[in-house]
Amino acid sequence: MSQSTVDSTATWKERLEGRVPPHLDEEIDIFETQIAQKRQGKIDDKVFAETRLRRGVYGQRYDNGQRHDGTASQALEYPCGDLTKGPNTVWDAPGMLRIKIPFGAMNGEQMEVLADLAEEYSDGIAHVTTRQDIQLHFIHIDDTPDIMRRLAAVGITTQEACGNSVRNVTACPMAGVCRDEPFDVSPYAHALTYFLLGHKDAQDFGRKFKIAFSGCEQHACGLANMHDLGVVAQVRSTSNGTTNTERGFRVYVGGGLGAVPHQAKVLRKFVREDELLPLAQAVCRVFGRLGEKRNRARARVKFLVAKLGIEEFTRLVDEELAILPPDDRWSAYLGDLSVTDEEPTRPAATLSPGSRPEGFGEWLGSNVQRQRQPGYVAAAINLPLGDLTSTQLRALADTTRRYNGGHVRNTVEQNILLRNISEADLPALYAELHEQGLGEPGASSLVDVTACPGTDTCKLGISASRGLAGELRKRIATSIRTTGVLADEAVKDLRIKVSGCFNSCGQHHVADIGFYGISRKSDGRTIPHFQVILGGQWTENAGSYGLAVVAVPAKRIPEAVERIAGLFVTEREKGESFQSFIARIGKARVRQLLDDLTKLPTYLEDRTLYSDWGDPREYTIGDLGVGECAGEVVTAVEFGLSAAEREVFQGLLELDRGAADAAAEKAYAAMLQAARALITTENIDIGTAPEEIVGEFRTRFYDTELFFDPYAGAKFANYLFRVHGDAQTDSGEEAHRRIEEAQLFIEAAHACNQRISEIQARVA
Amino acid sequence: MEGAQLPELDTLVKFDLKVLAAGAAEVEAEEFIPVFHRWITERLLPELLIDVADYSHVHEGPGVLLVGHDAIYAYDLSRGEPGLLYSRRHESGAELEGIDSLDDRLKSLLYCAFRACDLIEAEPQLDGRVAFDRHRLELRVNDRLFPSDEQTALTLAGAFRRALVEAGVRDGDAPVEVKRIGEPRERLTLRTG
Repeated sequence: MSQSTVDSTATWKERLEGRVPPHLDEEIDIFETQIAQKRQGKIDDKVFAETRLRRGVYGQRYDNGQRHDGTASQALEYPCGDLTKGPNTVWDAPGMLRIKIPFGAMNGEQMEVLADLAEEYSDGIAHVTTRQDIQLHFIHIDDTPDIMRRLAAVGITTQEACGNSVRNVTACPMAGVCRDEPFDVSPYAHALTYFLLGHKDAQDFGRKFKIAFSGCEQHACGLANMHDLGVVAQVRSTSNGTTNTERGFRVYVGGGLGAVPHQAKVLRKFVREDELLPLAQAVCRVFGRLGEKRNRARARVKFLVAKLGIEEFTRLVDEELAILPPDDRWSAYLGDLSVTDEEPTRPAATLSPGSRPEGFGEWLGSNVQRQRQPGYVAAAINLPLGDLTSTQLRALADTTRRYNGGHVRNTVEQNILLRNISEADLPALYAELHEQGLGEPGASSLVDVTACPGTDTCKLGISASRGLAGELRKRIATSIRTTGVLADEAVKDLRIKVSGCFNSCGQHHVADIGFYGISRKSDGRTIPHFQVILGGQWTENAGSYGLAVVAVPAKRIPEAVERIAGLFVTEREKGESFQSFIARIGKARVRQLLDDLTKLPTYLEDRTLYSDWGDPREYTIGDLGVGECAGEVVTAVEFGLSAAEREVFQGLLELDRGAADAAAEKAYAAMLQAARALITTENIDIGTAPEEIVGEFRTRFYDTELFFDPYAGAKFANYLFRVHGDAQTDSGEEAHRRIEEAQLFIEAAHACNQRISEIQARVA
Repeated sequence: MEGAQLPELDTLVKFDLKVLAAGAAEVEAEEFIPVFHRWITERLLPELLIDVADYSHVHEGPGVLLVGHDAIYAYDLSRGEPGLLYSRRHESGAELEGIDSLDDRLKSLLYCAFRACDLIEAEPQLDGRVAFDRHRLELRVNDRLFPSDEQTALTLAGAFRRALVEAGVRDGDAPVEVKRIGEPRERLTLRTG
């Protein structure tokens, strides 16, 4: 049943009963409880921030309650008063919801629900990100549990979309249809996604962890080299010397962009398919155990690999692999690799001669690629700045159902790819897409500029990356139409990528021409600028990174692009790539080319430079906030203690409704949860059996007196031992007492954790 | 049956109301960017205004938005029909306090949307190049929890007619015609004119 054909009011929880997978239902209920706890001041700001981030609930510009109008900052008086959803983050302030789309694969039903959600809770726009996610903006946190339920009912989760967790697992959008891949990486990306989702070994990171799959080494689609863990499909002859081959992967580790880009190192030249999941798990354990936690600027795995060296990192991974408890899931999925298959629904047929819709030829040339399956092609939808409306998304769901059974893949270039299209259907498909405003040519070309959100919505944005990208798209399109310099064949396939700051969410390092936002002072005022980055390599999975050449005022960047492109058109040697050209002429020459653009007029001479693209306010960096990309560094023990507090809270609710037995059970569960949280500081493999937890707690924290309160001694520990021996009760009075004891036990656990941290800090 | 009471509709807060532009648009959506920024800076509306979002690059999209806490205002381009879209999300502001019935809510929606239209039409930066036809309106229920059946449509249409009359929106001496549009799977939408 479609979510939109409802016939009576209820809550979304009631409406979707039985349609949300139980584990997600429980997970969303927990988040809803945490929201209630936060409203009552019963959960710490920092813990709640990381909690919501791990559900994809992200902050947005102006959520600190301030907005700079160009001359002064004004307070935004949100109705919630002092209530916050994280440090300096006002409860009522609109935020962003990041929705994980593993390897970018969406079906028709999912597209329809995303369209519904964009209309009802957001601004009618679904935004495709550079990591194949979908983002909705201007979302109120109170709406997020219902949004999550509606997504979960169609198989989508936001769990671990942000925060210090394993982010969306990306993959080449041509996986399964590419002519150059040895095999389809989709089922492996799918398996790794769900294996690591919520995995206990991936919960204690100092920063995020990004994984990408690629079907081949030579193309850019997977961008394996710039990821924390990059996985590239390989086949090799089997060791028994027969002609048979076996599937496997080359695995890279420690790549990443950000302010300091690192090329990934080879962790394994070849791992068999059944070795991939345990290897990833072992990497997570090493990262969780040894990765930086305090200094967020150096907490990504790339810094750990650089610090230890790839040989030592590999040795540590091997060590972990040797002690990993066996897990059936490592290979169970190999029994059915068809789980991600998308079969064509129309017969294969070649494109026959005949009449064509206007614009078809250009679109065909730029947006359509042949598949390895004869008679089928993949057609890209060139989305401006990665945006499409709810109406377009819904129409696209219908279109894809007609032509390929209702499947699309989001791409890292912020486009959408329709695969398994019969060649013969292309004119009709184009006509439909054109009607929907989705038939723009130029996908993956110069005009297809990608950008992060920048100052539009990101708290860290310094310059308007989307504003600049939009302006560049317009000018490049005009230049192509009027056969200007940007229409030249030589520059057609160059990539332009824009980030609003040095953090590189726009992937500027791997563009031919990249930009990232900075600011410069002049005439006592601030002027938005972009640093020009040249020489990055998009192909070969982001094979090399570009370097900064010169900072140019934001408003003069289009002119800079025309000059750089013009120089390449006129001075390149036969067959010379853009990277080779830049390397040959040298960055000094480019700097000279753009030198006059860097000279700043006074404010009175030219005010236009003192504002940014798409924003008439006088430019200021007064709206910069604290970013949430890094999440809050909340340790596993803090999370565990927070979960224990949630159990107690639910116990109180049970008590309120007179369910003494359930309340007592919650109190017991809360104490176990808190004890287990402490144990994880010493033994990350602790299970969930009460007997094991109590035994370990007794050995590690009671016998050692680590848990003892300076004044009350063993008192609080004994609460756990007593209830462990006698968990059942029907007495309301007894249940009440146990709830109180559980609260005291958790407080004692917090204090114990604090003491341990202080000891560790002194030792460090 | 028109006018039948459906109490749950009294609790429905999320509505979209679009006032279509009169005649051919002589203004580009981007021109609303500085206008809406100034509305925030000068606090031209008695509600919390937060941000401006530009989607003018999207085909028949929401155009340029002024995002507030209680509502989003947009120079909206959907279906190729420019207009002022008022999309209510919350009712926390002082002037929305105490609204507890569908009739009151519809009156309030019309008031807020028309007030924004007035401001835009008087906007110096747009020098009279945009006008709105207050007889060509689209009212949409923006909450799929609420029924979109015929009974609801009739009830909503009845209440909408009453609100229009009270707001002075008439077709000569007669009430304006209100009809349901769109596919069943779409949100319940009524249109006048």
